[in-house]
Order: sequence, then structure tokens, then C-alpha cells
Amino acid sequence: MSVDLDREAMLENVALHALGVLPRAEIPAVEAFIARDPEARREYDDLRAAADTIAQVAIEPVDSTRSARMKERLLARVRDDAAAGTVARRRIGPNPALTWGMGLAAAAAVVFGIVSVIQDVGLRSDLAASQSRTAALQTQLAQSERVGASDRRTLTDLIAPDAKRYEVANGAVVVRGGHVYFAFSKLPALPRGRVYQAWTIAKGAKTPAPSVTFTPNADGVAVVALPAEAGKLAAVAVSVEPDGGSKAPTTKPTFVRPLT
Amino acid sequence: MDPGLRLMERVRARDVAAFEQLYDGYHRLVFGIGLRMLGEPALAEDLTQAVFLKVWTAPDAFRGGSFVAWVSRVARNRALDTLRSKAARPEAEIPADIPLEGALDDDVFSRIDAQRVRDALMVLPPEQRTLIEMGFFGGITHQEIARRTATPLGTVKTRIRGGLRKLRETLGERVSQ
Repeated sequence: MSVDLDREAMLENVALHALGVLPRAEIPAVEAFIARDPEARREYDDLRAAADTIAQVAIEPVDSTRSARMKERLLARVRDDAAAGTVARRRIGPNPALTWGMGLAAAAAVVFGIVSVIQDVGLRSDLAASQSRTAALQTQLAQSERVGASDRRTLTDLIAPDAKRYEVANGAVVVRGGHVYFAFSKLPALPRGRVYQAWTIAKGAKTPAPSVTFTPNADGVAVVALPAEAGKLAAVAVSVEPDGGSKAPTTKPTFVRPLT
Repeated sequence: MDPGLRLMERVRARDVAAFEQLYDGYHRLVFGIGLRMLGEPALAEDLTQAVFLKVWTAPDAFRGGSFVAWVSRVARNRALDTLRSKAARPEAEIPADIPLEGALDDDVFSRIDAQRVRDALMVLPPEQRTLIEMGFFGGITHQEIARRTATPLGTVKTRIRGGLRKLRETLGERVSQ
């Protein structure tokens, strides 16, 4: 009897999870139950599908002026991006203005530069070579009419000799002029439904704040500009989270790096 | 076949015309979710921009299944992020985008329009419908729903489960007609 009652309670939690109203702390137990119980899995699939349809009642007519404005803004970005090609498709975080879009020639140079930067972490003695590479990269970048101002700023920051670099697993955290970047190479690919998520820990804060989510390209390269002011941060971190990100880490961070 | 599914294949090949068709077909849904959850047209507009930029820049994030369901979840998650950034929120969690097995298949899903869903929701007793809509669009936990509606926790659970099962059943009947 007790077992049946427990099972019924778990099936109710399955429904709550399907609707997306289950507290995070209770999710692992419910997902484990779904994984080992075929009936629970069927129930979850059915109810999740039903819950997914509810969004459709929100469909709103959008006034023509607003609709045209939104479309114009979007298509301008998309056409620029399509013309330029892309290096690594990154997930859009809270600050969509930081999206990459650049010419292929510049992109190849950029990726090479990023990897070089990563390889150069800890090799400050090779400054002359680094500066030479910086100059070459900047020349190539200047030749590319398609590189946007924000992209150029990111690249300039990443390869600048005065940037502070903090080595982390598979890459580096780069800080320059108040900006914070992650530059990774050979970052392991993640299973379906999982993304990397950046976290920022403000000075004096006890808990991390969610930042952008991202995935590496096929070569494991990812460059991420964090929408945060470096001067206000005590540390940054990365963890693996469900697609869409989390509001607090749900897995052990792959690294936590103090910015001191 | 879900038209969004077909268009996403072309978006992966960087087809701007396909992206434009996706926008035309689904921006009212995304904007509506934003407006319903955030309550401000300007925020809903920002959300719409962000969601469709994700569609363009990270098309591989969509891994098949129903495009409508996927883009709705992306919009809902994005709205929750905005809500969280504005104020401390209860810790509800939208399930990850895992494939569903044996549920409403993609073709069936594509034939369920907004009016059918509204009709199916109206079949539910108000006490079930209210809790489900509050949970879906409010981004709050069932415990918070219980608190706000002064309903016992067990009752909230039972009503949500019963309501979702009834909704699934009604939609299944309607789409098979």
C-alpha cells in the first residue's frame, strides 16, 4: 500500500516536471524515476507533449509597425552574418549584441589566433613573437570589411599583450579593460540537451549569478564575451547545464577561477 | 511534416529566406509568450529578437521533433531568465529539451493550432485550468502556486496531473478527427 502511495506521489511529481513547475532540488529524483520506470516515462512524454501545446494560447497579433521593426532589425543582422559566414556558432546569452559574425579569411586567422593565445598562456617570455602575431592578425582584421566593431574589440582584447590571462582547464579567462572573455580550445563536446554555462561571482557575493550559455564548435573552440564588468567580479566559473541554462549551478563546476 | 522542421533544415544551410519564413510564421507565438510572461511589449520584443537570433546563430540547438514546441521552450526559458534577473524567483525548472517518445508525433503537433488548444483548455474545470496556466506562464513552482491560490499542496499536484492528462486526451481526440 505504502509503495503504491509513494509511486502515485512520484507520478504526480512527473506531471509537475512535465509542466516545468517542479523545484530544481526535486528534479533528479523524478528524472531517475522516469529513467527506470517505463510507465512513468510514457506518462512524462504524454504530459510534456500536452504541456508544450499550451504555449500556443499565447499567440498574439503583433502590430504591423512593431512587427516590421523587429523583422528589419533581425534580418539586418542575419544578412550580415550570412554574407560574412560564421566561425563557431555560439549560443546567444543575455547580451545578443555580442554575437560573432566575420569574414572567413578573418575567421580563420582569428581561430588560429585564439588557439595561439591559449597555447601562449604562461609563455610570457615569448612576447616578441606574440606581438608579431598580433600585428599580423590586426593587419588581416583591418583588411576585412566584414568584421564588426565589437568583434574587433574582442579580438584585440584577446591578443593584447597587456591582457590578464588566467589559465583554466582547456583554455583561459582573459581580462582586459573591464571586459572578461573565455577562450577555450579542445573543449569536450556535450551530450544532447546540455550546454556550458558561465557564472559570475561578484565581489562580496556568496552565490554565483547566471551568465551566458555556449557550446564549442566542432574543433572544441569557443570564445565567449561575458556581459559583466571585470572590476566588479571576484571570480568566474563554468558548469554543464541543461539546454537554456540554469539559474544556479546544477553540476560541479568545470572550474572556478578567482580574478585576482 | 512540421513546416518549421523543414525550414530549419534550410536555416542550417544559412538560407536567409527560410529564416524569414520562420520569423513570419512564429514571431507572433514567441512575442505572445514574452508578453504573457513579462507583461511589457518592449520586453517581449527584446525576447523575440533574442530567440530568433538564437535560431539563426545556433540552429543545431534544435535537434528535430516539433519546432513549435522547441521554440516555445526557448522563448519560455528566455522569459524566465528575464524574470529572474528582475527579481528573486522561486526555483522552478523547465525540463531540458529531451526528445519525447510515443507522444503526440510531429505531424500531429503541427496540426494543433491555437484555437484547438484554447478549446481543449476550456474543457478543463477552471480549478485545473487556472493552476496549469499559472504554472506554465508564471515560471513558479507548484509550492508557490499553492501559496498564491491558498490551495493545499496535494490538491495542486492532483489537479495539475489530472488537468494535463485531460488536456492530452482532448487534444488526442481532436487531432484524430
